Amino acid sequence: MTPAIEVRDLRRIFNVRQGLFAPPRQVRAVDGVSFAVPPGSVLGVVGESGCGKSTLARMILGLLPPTSGEVLVDGQRLSSMDRKARARLIQPVFQDPFSSLNPRRRVQDIVAMPLVAQGNIDRATVARRVAEALERVGLSAEQGGRFPSQLSGGQRQRVAIARALVLRPRIVICDEPTSALDVSVQAQILNLLDELRRDLGLTYLFISHNLAVVEHVASEVAVMYLGRIVERQESEALFHNPRHPYTQALLASVLTPEPGLGVPDVGLGDIMPDPANVPPGCRFHPRCPRVFAPCATQEPRPTTSAAGLVECHLEG
Amino acid sequence: MTALLEVQDLRVTFGGTAAVRGASLAVAKGETHCLVGESGCGKSVTSLAIMGLLARGGRREASALRFAGLEIGGLNEREMSRLRGDRMAMIFQEPMTSLNPAYTVGSQMTEVLRRHRGATRAQAVDRAAELLGRVGITAPGLRLGQFPHQLSGGLRQRVMIAMALMCDPELLIADEPTTALDVTVQAQILRLLAGLQRDLGLGILLITHDLGVVARIADRVSVMYAGEVVESAPTAELFGNPRHPYTRGLLACVPVPGKVKRGDPLGSIPGVVPRIPPGFRGCAFRDRCEYAHAECSGPIPRQQAGPGHEVLCTLALAA
Repeated sequence: MTPAIEVRDLRRIFNVRQGLFAPPRQVRAVDGVSFAVPPGSVLGVVGESGCGKSTLARMILGLLPPTSGEVLVDGQRLSSMDRKARARLIQPVFQDPFSSLNPRRRVQDIVAMPLVAQGNIDRATVARRVAEALERVGLSAEQGGRFPSQLSGGQRQRVAIARALVLRPRIVICDEPTSALDVSVQAQILNLLDELRRDLGLTYLFISHNLAVVEHVASEVAVMYLGRIVERQESEALFHNPRHPYTQALLASVLTPEPGLGVPDVGLGDIMPDPANVPPGCRFHPRCPRVFAPCATQEPRPTTSAAGLVECHLEG
Repeated sequence: MTALLEVQDLRVTFGGTAAVRGASLAVAKGETHCLVGESGCGKSVTSLAIMGLLARGGRREASALRFAGLEIGGLNEREMSRLRGDRMAMIFQEPMTSLNPAYTVGSQMTEVLRRHRGATRAQAVDRAAELLGRVGITAPGLRLGQFPHQLSGGLRQRVMIAMALMCDPELLIADEPTTALDVTVQAQILRLLAGLQRDLGLGILLITHDLGVVARIADRVSVMYAGEVVESAPTAELFGNPRHPYTRGLLACVPVPGKVKRGDPLGSIPGVVPRIPPGFRGCAFRDRCEYAHAECSGPIPRQQAGPGHEVLCTLALAA
């Protein structure tokens, strides 16, 4: 079966100016990422800020050209598709429904925009499909006539989802779709996304920094660190048996509502990862609690098995 | 034990909207009291009202507002600003917006001590460097000369905490201090706060919407809804025996690895926090509550559900 999303050795380097006369520094935001997502499944991508997960999303959406490597969507090369065809296939839902919706447009016009941009759809069809999309995400026709500022955060995120669905895409890239929301609203949106996936046969790339959220929605999880996927496993397996020390630390830092356990010491130290200054050897070694001889000098090779992929000297 | 901070029947209104409607809470010395609830439920307004920092147009009333035995409700702005940053300090959610981008970390930190204590520049710099070290910042000398934008989010929040500690406060009010941070950094900052509290005997009022944070750090929890404290209990009691339908709803929403099978829906609370018009009667949660019945639009009793456990609800919920 053709994967819904496939990326091959994807890289993106940003040249960042340091000052007027200083030479630009290279930030390797995404540094050799490969994976495939089968249709109808959900790949969760987790990692701290600055790990390259949003850059990855923007490249898969075609919003940012990769420095090297390839993105295939539904078997076709993204770079060979025109914008309209791409929009019919793949759509985004972003983190902040306060800044991703035009405050001067009514909800129904915001949702209609992708249809209008296609250029060849008559007004009656646009109106019908907008009404359908609003109903799908649980918004009333009356709410369609309002402005984003008249809606709550959860309702705005529903608008963003309706806009993503109005072209009936096969793939939706969700970049931190619930991070700006309250837990109660987050639960509603996660339930909605899951229901839509099942009913419409959607494929998601689901980016989040919250492992507990990813565990709930994703069938497979990729853990990113400084531009690389350091571990990829089936969701359940990853949570029962995290193999990479970074995954273990991320998992340990999830604060479940269990009183008496205290705040865990995740053991990562105080050094923060800097994508402009990727350490030699294993890029995680300055923070790794299990660092040993080869880590500082040799880059670990990814080991792939039936259980998934790990990039760590402790494996193999 | 006398409470460090005691708030009784706090009411805050903004024009025609009642933001806080009779909230009472107390923080003892060395205790962490968490205030939880959804956005718009009045948590932040409560903390700002305590500090006397309400935005223009906000009106505050309380039958008691005592800090370390001192009634602060009637203090004027000058007297209040003498307390703020000195004996009671506050840290906010977004350290980027609460630090001044035009001044170095050092000048912002030292200002606190020079202003409140009349310390010399050298004394203040020494104290700032000492505290930066205390909050786990390596090379404090370097950081003091840097501007906020040169620091990562986690570092900025550490700077905010260090700044709040400059004058050895007795009470720290922290409004969503880790919400904008990565989970790994969140754990570090919370450990830091817990450690500081142990060492310095700080009373902390921590405002958060994250029940995971609450469970791990609070001694006592107050759940706020539409401007009222609807349930308050010691932490283990609240999580072990939640009585208010709102508290139960909030708990069901939290995704916990392995708790809900993938594909099964998470628990959720339908609707959103309503705006409460003045003169509103009854339970503000009744429109979202699955147990709502006729009595919920009348006066709501404050029931004792156990030692130190109060619930504002008409139901006698089974444990």
